[in-house]
Amino acid sequence: MADFDVIVVGSGMSGGWVAKELCEQGFKVGVIERGRAISPAEDYTDFVDPWTTEHLNRKSDKDREDYPIQSQVYAFQTFTRQFWVKDKEHPYETADGTDFTWLRGYHEGGKSIMWARQSYRLSAIDFEANKKDGHGIDWPVRYDDIAPWYDYVERFAGISGSKEGLDILPDGIFQPPHDLTCAEIDFKDKIEATFPGRKVIPGRVANLTEPTEEQMALGRGRCQARNHCYQGCSFGAYFSSKSATLPAAQRTGNMTLIPNTAVHKLILDEATGQATGVEAVDVETGEGKRITARAVFLNAGTIPTTMILLNSATTDAPNGLANSSGQLGKNVMDHHSGARGYATLPGHLDRHFFGRRPNGFYIPRFRNHTEEGDGFVRGYGYQGGAMRGSWSRVGYGKGVGADLKAQASTPGPWQISMVAFGEVLPNEKNHIRLHPNKTDKWGFPVPIMDVAWGENERAMVRRAIKDTRAMLEAAGGINIQTDDPDTAEPAPPGIGIHEMGTARMGHDPSNSVLNKWNQSWDIPNLFLTDGSFMTSAGCQNPSLTYMAFSARAANHAAELLKSGQIG
Amino acid sequence: MDQINPQRRQIFQALIALSAVGGLSACGGESQSNEPRLAQAAVPGYFTNSEMALISAFAQTLIPQTETAGAAQVGVPAIIQALATDWGDDAYRLYWRGGLASLGPALKSPTDESFLAQSPSVRNQVLAAYDEQVFNGAIENQFYRDFKNTVVQAYFRTETGATEELAYEPVPGEWIGCVPLSEFPKTWAT
Repeated sequence: MADFDVIVVGSGMSGGWVAKELCEQGFKVGVIERGRAISPAEDYTDFVDPWTTEHLNRKSDKDREDYPIQSQVYAFQTFTRQFWVKDKEHPYETADGTDFTWLRGYHEGGKSIMWARQSYRLSAIDFEANKKDGHGIDWPVRYDDIAPWYDYVERFAGISGSKEGLDILPDGIFQPPHDLTCAEIDFKDKIEATFPGRKVIPGRVANLTEPTEEQMALGRGRCQARNHCYQGCSFGAYFSSKSATLPAAQRTGNMTLIPNTAVHKLILDEATGQATGVEAVDVETGEGKRITARAVFLNAGTIPTTMILLNSATTDAPNGLANSSGQLGKNVMDHHSGARGYATLPGHLDRHFFGRRPNGFYIPRFRNHTEEGDGFVRGYGYQGGAMRGSWSRVGYGKGVGADLKAQASTPGPWQISMVAFGEVLPNEKNHIRLHPNKTDKWGFPVPIMDVAWGENERAMVRRAIKDTRAMLEAAGGINIQTDDPDTAEPAPPGIGIHEMGTARMGHDPSNSVLNKWNQSWDIPNLFLTDGSFMTSAGCQNPSLTYMAFSARAANHAAELLKSGQIG
Repeated sequence: MDQINPQRRQIFQALIALSAVGGLSACGGESQSNEPRLAQAAVPGYFTNSEMALISAFAQTLIPQTETAGAAQVGVPAIIQALATDWGDDAYRLYWRGGLASLGPALKSPTDESFLAQSPSVRNQVLAAYDEQVFNGAIENQFYRDFKNTVVQAYFRTETGATEELAYEPVPGEWIGCVPLSEFPKTWAT
C-alpha cells in the first residue's frame, strides 16, 4: 500500500493546481515542499509602514552577501527577503562564457507568492509557431484543446482584464480591468492612431477586482489597490497557491503537506516500468526518506524537476529517468527582456490617479503578426505604465527649503516607462546538466546552466528598442531614454524568471519527453506540469498556461488512475 | 531566515522618537526659528556630535519647518546616524566623514560665517545658492547630491513626511485611473 495516491513535488504555481484537482476528485495527495510552510500572520509583511522600515529599506551588505543573486530582483526588499533563497545554500554554476540568473524561493507556494501576476493566454498562433517556422518541434496541443482549461483556471484564479477580440492574445474569463491612467489613455489613442496594428490595453493580472462566491468562500477578498503583492497579501486578493489552490485542496481533507523535504530522486519499479515514489531528504535533519504513491507529479520548478530526473539515472537509464529521447534538460527557454524606454508625457497636469495599481498597460505582440519582422521570427509584447512623478524625484533635482517641500507634495509630470518581453527560441544547445562531483549541503548535485541567447533574440531586442522609441515619440514624449539599438544585447537568461522547456511535450517519444497530456512517454504514471513541459515560449508571461496544463493533466491522470491504466 | 531583530528595531525607533522629541521641544521654545536644539538632537553612533550638528543643520535647512515639521525635527539625523553606524561599511562611513568635512567650508556665508553659525535665513540662502550651482553643473559634488537625496528619502518616509506633507493611504481600497487633481492634489506617499 502506497503512502498516497499521488505525490506532487512542489507546492507552487502548478503543483497547487494539481493538488486541488486531484484532492477534489477524492485522491489522497501528498504535496512535498522543499521549503518551509508559511503563514500569512508570520510571513506576510503587507502592513509595513515606511517609517517602520529600518535603514530606508536599503539592502544591507549582509543581504548582498547572503543573497548576491536574489537581491538583484525587483521584488527583493528588506521585508521580502524571507521569500527568496539564500544563494550560499543553493549553489549553481554556469558554463564558461554563459550567464544565468536563477531567481527562486523555496517555501510553501513557491514563486506564486512573489510573482508579478501578469496572466496571458498563448494563442493559436503560438501553438503553431514551431511547426510553421521549423524551430523546435511541433506542439502536440492546439489552442482549442487548452482553451476550455484556460477558462477553467481563470474562473477559479480570478483574472482582471478587458475583452479585446485579438487573435494574438485571446480573451478569457475576466473580472473588471484596472483602468488606464489619463496619460495612458492618451498614449493608447496616439499609438493606435499612428500604428493601426498595435493595441495598448490594461494589463491582465491575477488580482481580484470582483471576487466570486467561490473565491470568497476560500477567504479571498477584493484587491485593495495597495500594490504590496510582493510582501504577501493578507486579503488573499491575488492568486497564489497559498491563497487559492492549496486551501481548496486542504478543505477536501485529502491533502497532506510535507514541508522541509527536498526530493532527490524518482523511484522506478523496473518490473512495471512505473514510478513508485520518491527519495527525499529532510532539509532540517538531513534524514533520508522514501515516500510512495501510485502516481507522481513533478512540479518542483523547471530546473529542479529536470535535475531530479537527471539525478535518477539507473543502469538501464544512464542519462536519467524519462529521458529515452535524450531531450531532458535541453531547450532551456526564458523570456528575454529589454528595450526599456522612459519619457515624460506632457499635459494632463490637472489629472491624477487614486490608489496603487498592482498592474500597468500591455501592448500585445505586433511583429511578425500585424507588422513585419526585421530579420527575426516570433515577437515581443510590452509591459508599461504612465504615472505622475513621485515625491522621490526631488532628491535628484534642484531646490531647497519650502520650495523643495512644495515640489515634493505636488505630483510631478506624467512619466511613462515600458519594457519588452521577447520570445526565446527552443535550441537544444541551451541545456542543464549535473555537476559531475559538486553537491549542495544535502547531497544533491549542483546544476550547471549552459544557456546563451542567439541572433534571433538579439535582432528582436534591437528592433524592439526602435519600436519603443518610435512609440514614445508618437505619443509626444520628451526626454526619451532608450538603449542604443545598434549595440544593445538582450538581458541574460534567467532574468525573465520564466525558465522553461527542459522536458518538452511532443508528438513523438523519440524527440520529446512528454506526450500531449504532460505524461512521460517512458513512465506512464509520471507527469510534469511546471514550466519544463513548454515546447515553445510565446512571449506571454507563462504562469496562466502552466495552470491550465496542470489542471488538464491532473484531470487526465485522475481518469487513468480510476480506470486502472496507471498506478 | 533573517528577520529584523525586534529589539534592534525598537531601539532604532526609540532613537528616532527621542531625537524628534528633542527637536520639537526646541521648536516649541523658539517658535518659527527653524532651529532645533542640536545638542538634544544628537544620537550616539559613528558620527561625532559636531558632525551630527552639521547633518541636523543641513537637513533642517533642506527641509525646514513650514506648516509641517522639518527634517531634523522628525528624526532624519538619527536615521542618517543609523545608516552610518549599523548599515554602511567602512567605505561608506569614510565617504560621509570626508564629504561632511569638505561640505562645511563650502557652505560658508559671504561674510565667512560657518554654516552652523549662520541664521536659518542665511543658511537657506547659502544652501540655495550652492544647490543651484551643483544642479546647473558649475560645481561637481557627488557627496552633496547623495546627502541631499538621503535627507529627502528619509524625510518622506517618516510618519510626518508621509502622512502630513504627502497623501498616505495604506489601504486605498480601489484603484481609479483618472481623477481630477483638484480632488486629490497631493503626491501619494507610496
